[in-house]
Amino acid sequence: MTELIQPIASPQEIAGAARQLREIARQDQIAPQTVLEVFDRWAAALGDRELHDVPGVTFLRLWLRRGNLEPVLLRELGPSPVNGAWREDGRARLRAFPLGVVGHWPAGNVEIQPVLSLTCALLGGNSCLVRVPSRLVQITRQVMEKLQEVDRSGSLTERIFLTSFDHSRMDLQEAMAQSVDGAMIWGGAEAVSQVRGLPFPHWARVVVFGPRLSAAAMDAETWGNKTDRPSWCRRIARDVWQFDQQACSSPQTLFLERGAGCDPAEFVEDLKQAFQEENRQHPRQQIEPALTSAISLARASWLLGDDKNRALFPASPDWTILLGTGMDIPNPTQGRTLSVLVVDDLVEVVSKFDGTLQTLGLGIKDARKEELLALTAGRNGVDRIVKLGRMHVFGSPWDGTELIRPMVRLVRHVPSED
Amino acid sequence: MNTLAEIEQAIESLLLQPPYGVDPQQRHSALLALFKQELAYACERNPRFRNYVEQWPVDFCEADKISDLPYLPVGVFKANPPLALVGADDVKRTLSSSATTGQVPSRVVLDAATARRMAKGVITIIRDFIGPARRPYLVIDTPENLAAQAELGARGAAIQALGSFATEVVSCLRSGHNGDSSVDLEKLLACAAKWKDADVLVYGFTYVIWTNLVQPLQRQGITLDVPNVRVLHSGGWKRLQQQAVTRDVFTRGVASIFGCSPDRVIDYYGMVENVGVIYPDCDHGNKHVPAFADVIVRDPLTLAPVNAGQRGLIQVCSVLPTSFPGFLLLTEDMATVIDYDGCPCGRRGISFRFAGRAPKAEVRGCGNLENSRYQQPQGVGVA
Repeated sequence: MTELIQPIASPQEIAGAARQLREIARQDQIAPQTVLEVFDRWAAALGDRELHDVPGVTFLRLWLRRGNLEPVLLRELGPSPVNGAWREDGRARLRAFPLGVVGHWPAGNVEIQPVLSLTCALLGGNSCLVRVPSRLVQITRQVMEKLQEVDRSGSLTERIFLTSFDHSRMDLQEAMAQSVDGAMIWGGAEAVSQVRGLPFPHWARVVVFGPRLSAAAMDAETWGNKTDRPSWCRRIARDVWQFDQQACSSPQTLFLERGAGCDPAEFVEDLKQAFQEENRQHPRQQIEPALTSAISLARASWLLGDDKNRALFPASPDWTILLGTGMDIPNPTQGRTLSVLVVDDLVEVVSKFDGTLQTLGLGIKDARKEELLALTAGRNGVDRIVKLGRMHVFGSPWDGTELIRPMVRLVRHVPSED
Repeated sequence: MNTLAEIEQAIESLLLQPPYGVDPQQRHSALLALFKQELAYACERNPRFRNYVEQWPVDFCEADKISDLPYLPVGVFKANPPLALVGADDVKRTLSSSATTGQVPSRVVLDAATARRMAKGVITIIRDFIGPARRPYLVIDTPENLAAQAELGARGAAIQALGSFATEVVSCLRSGHNGDSSVDLEKLLACAAKWKDADVLVYGFTYVIWTNLVQPLQRQGITLDVPNVRVLHSGGWKRLQQQAVTRDVFTRGVASIFGCSPDRVIDYYGMVENVGVIYPDCDHGNKHVPAFADVIVRDPLTLAPVNAGQRGLIQVCSVLPTSFPGFLLLTEDMATVIDYDGCPCGRRGISFRFAGRAPKAEVRGCGNLENSRYQQPQGVGVA
């Protein structure tokens, strides 16, 4: 990894890089323990002051720590592969081997996603060929420079090839797909459809994360509690603000279960204050004009659609709260536009979900009700059910899929001599 | 109560003023007062519009700037039925935008009074650029688009809006069997011969003029030799940009076909939702706003008006419509403000340059779904 993010001009360059990466993955096997040690040092290096303002780096530091990743490895691969050894399985033995070269197509909206994606494949002993979205080149370079500093032997860095090219270069996309043994694809519908259609080898394992959307729900005992409500509103604001509400784990709609004596108008006033405060702390630096148009249209469409609908928003496109009733999730606008829908029964709402929903953020006082909601959500396609304020906490499984195991082959050896 | 009669009287008095000669401060005061009346009237007529206005962060009655008044995004006019302030019986004509394939067109309803004002508005503006005289009118389009219809597209509306300047009208394209149109060369050459030394008005959509007139005639080496034409064109540059045809190439190409000087080719910006207001380029390449309208260019980050020299989303403002709430509309187009007064052409008030449609958002995140049951078309039917 001499030049951290390599410019690529031809399919041949990609094929050549992949050949080199595959040789390294085959010949220099690396034990998960070694990967964990380097990751631990990397996490420490990312604490440098110059990286404080890089979005996502605080989370990345937590993610890379041994204390976080070792349990993930143990759960996904079992104890023996963590030590790089065979484990007994009756008369046979099992051992995890890397797929080889894993191609990564991260989404452009999550700053540290190229890095998160490659860490999962590295833990399985793979080499990584990563297409870094143009918007994330600078951030990815900053983060990877720290890995280069701490990985003195180069045992990890030699397994990573980062490149950036325009997504419309189909010749390079195809060359990358043809060169890999596995793929981790993240992103929106358009990007995922395009990458899924690339000519991967028939043996390649392809795992797709996204496109999904997420919602939140609160029972009346929670949202109607005037003492606790500001704290819950701060949690919701945090979930809405991160990734500018463009992530698959971003809540687009909040369902409030109706309750006697609880006034949704009071709740949205508290939510407004939380949004104002979050905006004060994390103001937007830029916005696509098309998103500004979409936010303006969402506000107008909501209020013109039904004269009982309400909305709170400033003169700027900074944030929007749309208050009304109904069980269907409205067309997501993103850009910090949260629909708050009052419903009679949360279970009925959740029973209408399908696999489009990734995460359900909850604020539920009644544990039995939460149990029922979790069960209903799970049955109806939701993959993550978490407390409000923690909707974006990345972990395994994600989208209902393990993160390391899919990029590992479990080899079975039955000894020839009894 | 805001009686329609009072509002109509105020509009008429603005239409009588010199379109580009009013002091910007004076104009602002007059427009602000009238927009407030129109908003109040619209709130009385349409409870859903009132709901929107009531939730606006600034009370419009207290506003001291037009830029603080509640505006609608143009996308709301994609609703079916169209957003209206009059009953179905009063609708004389429905205008629809030229949506490209797969897009939902915008639709606005006109009652007789709004339609009349629309015509007056366009005439007032165009007269300032080409003079008041009537003259032969050559339409670069098919005869079908000349006919008066209850439901009229953007092309038809633009063609008909210039009809008042015509002594005679000739359309020089003909429709083919497969829906294509091509130039009727015989008719065109006959007109050119007949009108050789006359003042002639020509109008067509920008890409129609290029693909159906300029290109075929250039290929055949034909020029028309009608030096006294005024060629007006509108409809946007997107399709020509895809063919790498620049504004300069277009203007010179059109001028060479007609044998006129390039300054006789005038591009104007307009949209069906902004009825009665169009924005032709002045001799200095800038667009201006008549006395009965305004333009605010807003910073996409804050939605506040930008300073001179800055670019943003265009908000068009017009006092003319009373049949639909099209007074204050945020478009999806971008412009750069050249100055807020003092264009060397002498026209008072804001001068700006069109900068194309706001580009589609580039970042397509993992939360971006398409073709799912959650992606319903936006827009609302407000009767």
